[in-house]
Order: sequence, then structure tokens, then C-alpha cells
Amino acid sequence: MREHEKTLVLLLAGGVGSRLNILVQTRAKPAVCFGGIYRIIDFSLSNVMNSGLTQVGVLTQYKPLSLMRHLGTGEAWDFTGRSRGVKILPPRTGSKDSDWYKGTADAVRQNIDFIRAHPSKEVVILSGDHIYRMDLDDMLSFHRRKQADVTIAMMVVPREQIHQFGTGITNDEGRIVEWEEKPEVPRTDLASMGIYVFDTEYLLRLLASDREATDFGMHFIPKAIESDNVFAYPFHDYWRDVGTVQAYWEANMDILREDSGISPEAWGIRPNFEADGRPADWPPARFVAGSTVKDSMVAAGCVIEGEVVNSMLSPGVRVGKHAVVRDSIILHDCVIEEDAVVDLAILDKRVVVGGGAVIGSGDRDAKPNQRYPKHLYTGITLIGKEAVIPPGIVVGRNCIVEPGRKDDEFSGREVASGETV
Amino acid sequence: MKKLKPRTLAMILAGGRVDELNVLTAYRPKSAVPFGGFARVIDFPLSNLMHSGLEQVAVLSQYRSYSLINHIGSGAAWDMLGRYRGVSILPPSKGYGHSDWYRGSADAVFQNFDFIQYHDPEEVLILSGDHVYSMDYQEMIDYHREKDADLTIACLKVPLSTAHRFGVAEIDDEDGERGGRIFQYKEKPSRPRFDWASMTIFCFKPKVLYEVLAANAREDDSFEFGRNIIPRMLYEQRRVYGYKFAGYWGYTRTIEEYWQTNMDLLGERPRIDIEEWGIRTNLEHRNIRDCQPLKVGNEAVIDDSLIYNGCTVEGTVERSILFPGAYVKKGAVVRDSVLFFNNVVGRNSRLDKVVSDVNVTVGDEVRIGEEGPAADKEATVVGWNNSIPAQTVIGSDCTLYPTLKPEKLARTIRSGEIVR
Repeated sequence: MREHEKTLVLLLAGGVGSRLNILVQTRAKPAVCFGGIYRIIDFSLSNVMNSGLTQVGVLTQYKPLSLMRHLGTGEAWDFTGRSRGVKILPPRTGSKDSDWYKGTADAVRQNIDFIRAHPSKEVVILSGDHIYRMDLDDMLSFHRRKQADVTIAMMVVPREQIHQFGTGITNDEGRIVEWEEKPEVPRTDLASMGIYVFDTEYLLRLLASDREATDFGMHFIPKAIESDNVFAYPFHDYWRDVGTVQAYWEANMDILREDSGISPEAWGIRPNFEADGRPADWPPARFVAGSTVKDSMVAAGCVIEGEVVNSMLSPGVRVGKHAVVRDSIILHDCVIEEDAVVDLAILDKRVVVGGGAVIGSGDRDAKPNQRYPKHLYTGITLIGKEAVIPPGIVVGRNCIVEPGRKDDEFSGREVASGETV
Repeated sequence: MKKLKPRTLAMILAGGRVDELNVLTAYRPKSAVPFGGFARVIDFPLSNLMHSGLEQVAVLSQYRSYSLINHIGSGAAWDMLGRYRGVSILPPSKGYGHSDWYRGSADAVFQNFDFIQYHDPEEVLILSGDHVYSMDYQEMIDYHREKDADLTIACLKVPLSTAHRFGVAEIDDEDGERGGRIFQYKEKPSRPRFDWASMTIFCFKPKVLYEVLAANAREDDSFEFGRNIIPRMLYEQRRVYGYKFAGYWGYTRTIEEYWQTNMDLLGERPRIDIEEWGIRTNLEHRNIRDCQPLKVGNEAVIDDSLIYNGCTVEGTVERSILFPGAYVKKGAVVRDSVLFFNNVVGRNSRLDKVVSDVNVTVGDEVRIGEEGPAADKEATVVGWNNSIPAQTVIGSDCTLYPTLKPEKLARTIRSGEIVR
């Protein structure tokens, strides 16, 4: 019998991920589609499943509907059965200190009853926001070997990104001796991946020790390293926080390349097809005579008559004759009509690009989006769910077309780079 | 209020050993043969039943039924799971009255008559699990009820020149395009005079069905619907009607026909439109739900083909159908071919008009099939679990038996050869 089978997992899936802009307008970040047929949270859930852990609580808060539908009974990840289960844990009112979750530690504190109801020696806490593969069973073994109170998975990240993370300095045996949360002037390149193994008793004591503290990285870890056994579990493989439009686009493109280190199928990542309401209806992708496809992933249900280069296509996408899709991510059931061009863009579900329209026109090095200069500045244009781009319209770089926009909401023939519709 | 309990019970004949489709049926019944890039032949009748609202279904299976049982699973893939919805597999059994191995299609139904009686339907729809088509059975059942028929047979008009391959009926003009009374029927006649071929889709009144099956079991020494039951009913002057069907019907007995039916999935307007038809399969079977989308490499060329999730294409694929797990390596060319689950085609190999069963690995620089137009040659069929050594040359119209030792293949195999 697997040693850590009964270990409780808490998956923090409440992230807003607001820098993903309109991709998170109707869904939480963990529910954002990724890699053609997956959602971001599939990576964490599959890691849990493949590590042999079977008891999971998913803490939700922000726009949880699409997430809850996606989780379903948990059957897709084998979480159904006598000793298995996945529970959705939304914020509740009614007991003394219940309220909206104010931070990672606060969210866990509000679910102490859930932890007590599933007695286990350790609690694994992780976020549903990241793209990676990790053997949590190995991390648990490490935790026990070190007789740690807390173990934090940490990895080396580029210097220019380190300010977004909790950072630590470790000694020879892997003990974390210094901690800085989101430092402006970093002294290390070792960052927390937001994956914790806590000794359950220790966790309960810790949460009770300071009832004002709401965040693990901000409040608890800095104090814990002084008096308790806090270890860093080193991680060296592919890991991405796809929290920005650019990072999201890059990670999708990584799957297309052979040497990038990411391979959802080889990693054993499972999607939940049923949740999309069309369980098995997608026929194989159909390539009509005269189509061209290179360096791309094309999911079932697509019909390709035109050209697809360096792009990620979710199920049910149609690319019409002489249409071109390049360097783009196209989500479910989009229709790109004849002679249209989509270049360096992300199309949310069920977008229609009318005949001859151009998405992503002009120099890729154009000026940033005027409304969200920090979200869109690398040339990527975002088209919201169910938008209909009229035939012949030309949309520039770094543009946003909000969900559902159509016809007369496009004044004129052109949306200049940086504009928002 | 809609009556919850279904009025019609459907029974799929799925299990007979058929000497058809060569090595593709060496280890599976014909109904479990892969078709359409992700599905099995039986998914067509099962999806038809689902779309017709007939969700109380029995599958009669005898020959190597493991693959079929596995495929059908709980029936949930076709929504056949619920209070009045279900798929029951009915294998042969021992220990009751006349139970035994099924001696024929009619015998299979007769041995399970207690199952029919238990469900007490108004009609029993008996259909073959071996054909590729899309049909609303409800329309046929409506006709059957309207005519107060004892038996209604779905029929398709075929050229008289091919009619000897089918059971053929003469349908009178009672209802024009819709159908009419059948007074004459011949099973595979050597000199056919009628051209309405039976599609092996029968709608029976249960009481009459029981009477004729019981008489058949008592008096005859052959137990087939086509050869025995229909002629018996006409002789007894029962009300037998033909329901005229005009759509596509994929009837495959030879590899060449199977190949052609596959090619009907391709083209700008495919004759078999599996999306339009709403064909469902069981994604749990072979875990194809866990496959990532098709991955297309930098030098890939894909033309007029059907490719499901879980494939990787780095070479050239033309007019072909690839099931999950197919991997076409760089420089390889796959033309006019059908590759079942988990095929690997090595670098710089070339496949021309090949039907390859599951788990076949083709080494580098292998040639299978003669070059040139597909119509000018017969397909080569490769049985499952074969590994073809690098640089092997195999002609057209060859048969490679399943699980051959690689040394049997390490030579030039000329067109028309059979390797056992």
C-alpha cells in the first residue's frame, strides 16, 4: 500500500489572475484553457493523482462556476471511490471568523474543520495556477526524511522575475535560513513555487499562533524559519506561472517544440472532456486537400482548409480556405473564415473571424495597449469569447476585443494597434 | 406524460465469427473493428440508437467478445445508463433449456428470449453491428406501427449486378418512396431478380418473433434471419414490410471494401460525415481521452486526411486515416492508408495503400505497397503486433498475419504474398 495515500491535499484555486485580462473575465485562472484540451488546473490535479494522493479539497473563490463544472465528480482524475474524493470548498459565512478568503493561510484556516475531518499526518498545500510536473510523493518522502515541520518546493528562476516570488536562502542540508517575500532587491534566485508540505499538527498550531496573519509566504514562513524546521525541496524541471498574457502564450508555444521540456501527455496530464458538454462527439481533425499545417497542435474536431503555422488549436476550430493562422492560440469552436489572417493572437472560445479580416496587422513591435499597457505590450492581440469580427476588418497589435463584440461595435474598417473594442 | 419505460427493445447482433476482413477479424468480431480514426464499427449503430432515442439495448456477442465488452463499458458513452437506459451484453450461456453456443443469428435471439420477455417491449429492433450508416430507426418503427406489420425490414436499392451478395426483396408500391409489402425474398440468390437489399435491420412484433423462432428451432437445421426466418414468415403469410432507405450504407466484407469505406470519410464533402452523423465512441476504451492534440512537426505535410488526438506527424500524410498513437517520423510518407492505434512509421519509410492493425512498428526506410494510383492496386493488410524490420520491401495485396516473428519479414515480400 502506498505510504502517503491518505495525505490530505488542499488545492488553492481562488486565484483571479487578473493580468490574463479578458481570459479571466468569466473564469478563474485555474480554469483557463491551456494546451488545446487542458485547463491550467489539470496539471496540479494530475500531479496529485499521479503521486497517488486521493483526498483533495479545492478552495475556490473567484468565478468558480467554470471550475466546478470542470471538476465534476473528480472522476476524470480517479478521485471517486471509497477512500477517494475531491471536495469544493468555497468561502462560507455563519461561523465566527468565516468570510471571504483573505490570503493563502486565511483560506486554509477557514477550512480547519475539513482538515480535522480528514486526519492525516501531513497536509499538502498547492496552487492550481501553474504548469509543471512534480512527484508529490517524493516531496513527502523528503519532508519525512528531513523531519521537517514545513517543506517548501523551490526552484531557481531568472533574476528579473524573482521579485514576484517568495525567496529563500538555504544551507547545505536544504534548511531555509533566510526568507524574503517579493524582494525589491533580491539576494538569491531561489523562489517558492507555492507548494507546501505541512505537518498537520504543526500547521494547526501555526494557524492558531497568530490569528491576524493571512498569508503563508508573507506572515508565517519568515517567523517559522527562525524557530522551526523549514526545508526547501529542490525542483529543477519545467515550471511556469502562466499569469501574464505573454507567459501564457510562451508556455503554449513551448508544447509545440521538442526540446522545451513540457509534454502534457508524457506527463500523464488528464483533461476532463465530459465537462465541456460534448463528451465524445469530436471526430478526428480533418485536413482538406490543399491545407498546410506546420509546427502546430491540432485537436480533434478541427477542420483545416487553410494554413496553420506554429499555433495551438483547441477542439472544433475551423480554418477556411486560404485563411492563415500563425503564432496563435485558438480556443474551442472558433471559426476563421476564408482569406482571414490571424497572426500572434489569442482567440477565446467561439470567436468568429469574418472572411478576409486580419487579426494582428502591422509591425509586431507596436505600442502597448492603451488601457492595459502592462498586460499587452509584446504584440499579442486578445479576442474575447464569442466576439464576431466582421469581414474585412483589420485589427492591429496589442489590441483587445472584449467578449461578445460584433458588427456595429466596430466603427470603421480598422482597429489600430493598442486599441480596445 | 411521456412514458418512461421504453416501448422498443434493441438487440445488436455483434458476435458472429465472420470470415471477412481478413486478419482484422482474427482477434475481434467485425463490429469491434476500428473505423473512422477514433471509433469502432459498432459505434455507428450505437450512435444511431442514441439519436433515435432507443436506449434499452442488448448486444449479442459470442466470438472473442472481450474487445467488444471493453468497448461498450457501462454504456455511458452513448447515454445508455440510467433507470430505463442500459446496454446488456448477452454472451452464450449454459444451464437453461436450450442454451448453448449460438448456432446462428436467429438462435442467438431465441436463446435470449427470456430477456425480451422480461422487458416486454412493443417491438424488438434487431440489427447488425457490422455496418457503417446513419439512420433514424424511429422513422422505421413508426412505419412498422402504421402498417401493423409483423416484420419490417430496412432495405436499400442496390445494382442488380451486386444483388447476389445480399438478401434481396421485392417491395410493392404500397407507400411509394417510403416502403411497401414484401411478398418475395431471396437470400444471396445466384441469379437475383430483385434489387432491394436487406440491411439486416429488422423490426419485429415480439409475439410473432417468438412463434417463428420457436418453429425454426423445432423444425429447421439452420438458424439465420436471412436464410430461414424471413422465408418462413413469407411462407406463413405474415405481414412483412420493406422500409426503403436511401442514405449511405457502408457494407464491408473484403479489405478492399473496408478500405473504400474509409476513403469515403475523406474529401471536401465526405460521404460519411461523422460529425454531422454525431458518432460517439467510448473514450475510456484505450484511454484515448488522455491523448494530447495531434502534434505536427516542422517538415510535415498533411493533405486530405483524418487524424485524431494522440498522433504525431513529422513526415507526409496524404489521403489517410490515423488513429490515436500513430507516429509518422521525419521523411516518412503515408498515402491512401489506414493506421490503427499505436502505429509507428519509421524515418524515410513509405506506405502506399496499407491497412495496418494496432501496435505495428514499421522500421526506417521500409517500403510497403507499390507506388502509383490507389485504384490500380489492392491494399496490403498488416495484422496486429508486428514489427517490420528496417529496409524491408513489401508489395501490394499482401497479408501479414498478426504477431509474426520479425525474421519472417526480413526479406522482400512480393505483391500478393501471404505471410503467416
